[in-house]
Amino acid sequence: MIIRPVAATDLDALMNLAKSAGSGLTTLPADEARLSSRIRWAQKTFAREVERADADYLFVLEDDEGQVVGITGLAGAVGLREPWYNYRIGMTLSASPKHGIYRPNQTLSLANDLCGLSEVCSLFLHPEQRKGTNGRLLSLSRLVFLAEFRELFSDKIIAEMRGVSDENGSSPFWEGLGKQFFTMPFAQADYLTGIGNKSFVAELMPRFPIYTSMLPPSATECIGVVHPNTRPALRLLETEGFAHRGYVDIFDGGPVVECETAHIRAVRDSQPLILAVGTPSDTAVPWLIHNRKLAQCRITCDHAHVAAGTLVVTSQTAQRLCLKAGDQVRAVPLYRPTIGDIRP
Amino acid sequence: MNSGFVVRPATPRDFEAVERLAEQALPGVFSLPADPVRLSRKIESSLSSLSADVSYPGEEDYFFVLEDLATGEVIGCAGIQATCGYRKPFYSFRHETFIHASPGLNISNKIHVLALSHDLGESSLLRSFQVASPFLNTAAAELLSLSRLLFVANHPTRFSNRLIAEIVGISDAAGQSPFWEAVGLHFYGMDYQEAERLHADDDRAYLAELLPHYPLYVNLLPDAAQHAIGQVHPGATRPYEILLEQGFEPERYVDVYDAGPTLAAEQHQIRAIRNSDLCRVHVTESPAVGNTCLLVANLSVSDFRVVLLGARTCKDGAVMLSQQEANALGCKSGDFVRISPVKQVAS
Repeated sequence: MIIRPVAATDLDALMNLAKSAGSGLTTLPADEARLSSRIRWAQKTFAREVERADADYLFVLEDDEGQVVGITGLAGAVGLREPWYNYRIGMTLSASPKHGIYRPNQTLSLANDLCGLSEVCSLFLHPEQRKGTNGRLLSLSRLVFLAEFRELFSDKIIAEMRGVSDENGSSPFWEGLGKQFFTMPFAQADYLTGIGNKSFVAELMPRFPIYTSMLPPSATECIGVVHPNTRPALRLLETEGFAHRGYVDIFDGGPVVECETAHIRAVRDSQPLILAVGTPSDTAVPWLIHNRKLAQCRITCDHAHVAAGTLVVTSQTAQRLCLKAGDQVRAVPLYRPTIGDIRP
Repeated sequence: MNSGFVVRPATPRDFEAVERLAEQALPGVFSLPADPVRLSRKIESSLSSLSADVSYPGEEDYFFVLEDLATGEVIGCAGIQATCGYRKPFYSFRHETFIHASPGLNISNKIHVLALSHDLGESSLLRSFQVASPFLNTAAAELLSLSRLLFVANHPTRFSNRLIAEIVGISDAAGQSPFWEAVGLHFYGMDYQEAERLHADDDRAYLAELLPHYPLYVNLLPDAAQHAIGQVHPGATRPYEILLEQGFEPERYVDVYDAGPTLAAEQHQIRAIRNSDLCRVHVTESPAVGNTCLLVANLSVSDFRVVLLGARTCKDGAVMLSQQEANALGCKSGDFVRISPVKQVAS
């Protein structure tokens, strides 16, 4: 498996992937015109022809037979061309010590606070490929790419996690809040934002903070909660240092997680190394390895070990990276070492 | 006939009768607490307001009773506070509307919000209205309510140009208010009746500080709470209709606790004030019968009195009164009184 920049020839494969994603993945709607335009933007992005505001680093996961089985993305910045909205969770307190009254009330305020930040986004892995290290490779590849090209991204990275919705694509949070203002079904609103039509958010959404105590419990229970299928992806980002700090999606209430770029484990712990081709030792662990290239970017993961400033990998891995012995790589262990892994 | 009732200032001798009236008050009537200490304070404060030399509205609080002259019984009470927000906040929810429109999507939504507001804080507040139930649908109830307006007509500078009245909103048989359940409850953490007990205390104004300071989106409230907004408690329709008839209007304000409507009118718009006039008293043994009912008020402050007369004619700029009527008003031939015609009402 390798991660590489998306190519024009990937359109059919991406359409098939999008169709299997269903609603909720707003950044990958099954819309051919939209997808092909996205691919063109991604190609310009990798060619360094666009500003950060428009940068869309879209990668695919390809198996050794050349089949595209996953997609993953990194946006240079959200909300610099048009506003980016989130709800910020807040609290108001009604208190009268004299009468023994102390009532906290949670609020949701429409915020543009995250505008300008880079976002990891558009992650989707074909259901049949949800095994082994594929999911981890797909998600973390973006982080090692970030580590290599820090200047292309903001100092803080966000990720919007898919919120709760039922099998019909209906979201309780949407039913309780958004629908009262949008008078349209969730899937439609979700689709419209997915294809980049966000102006209606400002036009229709409540501008004053909302007291969540006035929403139905079914809606409040979804605030900051991820869809069950997204839990593993959330856990993965959490182990990399991402945390929920009070921002949620305005449609489904799913959490936005964020992390200072410098504090992301894959950024902090990644290191430039010289590639050596050989046989990884018995103590080799899986590494995430980037060929340090932008337009020709290749990222993969495989067992490897560090020896005398080199990363020893198999020849197959070197081939996947389009590298030969002596070339430079940036690498980080695929898993965060636990105490037991640290050996003298 | 109708001259059998008089409205006059409440005195300490009326205490027990007023206490009985207070016990019949609807839930949410904070201005008439069935609490001996507060009630006697209310009577005292009215007496000192009536004896004070006042040139602009301030802390004064006037409290009148309705007496059945045949029995000497007090069967109603009503008050008017010169400045409802005097030294204490007086909040209302102001109903506001916004249009959220998306031309691209061809959607245009009218959005209603309730915003906490102190707009009415300078107004004079008609309040503490309560009539014994057998008399509620009689002309006596109207006499009681309107007597306050004639007092305002006599002494316009004692009051704000704007008069308001908070009408009790709806609550269920158990005394629970659907609007409170959806709003106040979250900020007080107690049920409506418990909150009412707290409010009976003079702390009401400060407790309003606990209310939501961000505007509330009406479309997010439960249906029962939405339906309660601006609705009148069935037991409050009579005082509500009396004031509507006078030109009061439910503007855009509702009560912060039960969402009952707040009525408002400016002095010059109020029928009983606008149509009132000063004229002399002519005491006669057989007053001529005319075709207009008249409210007649004396011009005294501390001994203010109002009666409602049946069809009566004014002759040569004078209103003819029987000796009994003149006695009830505490005036004699040649005195000036304020008269205001009212439409024929149920007797």
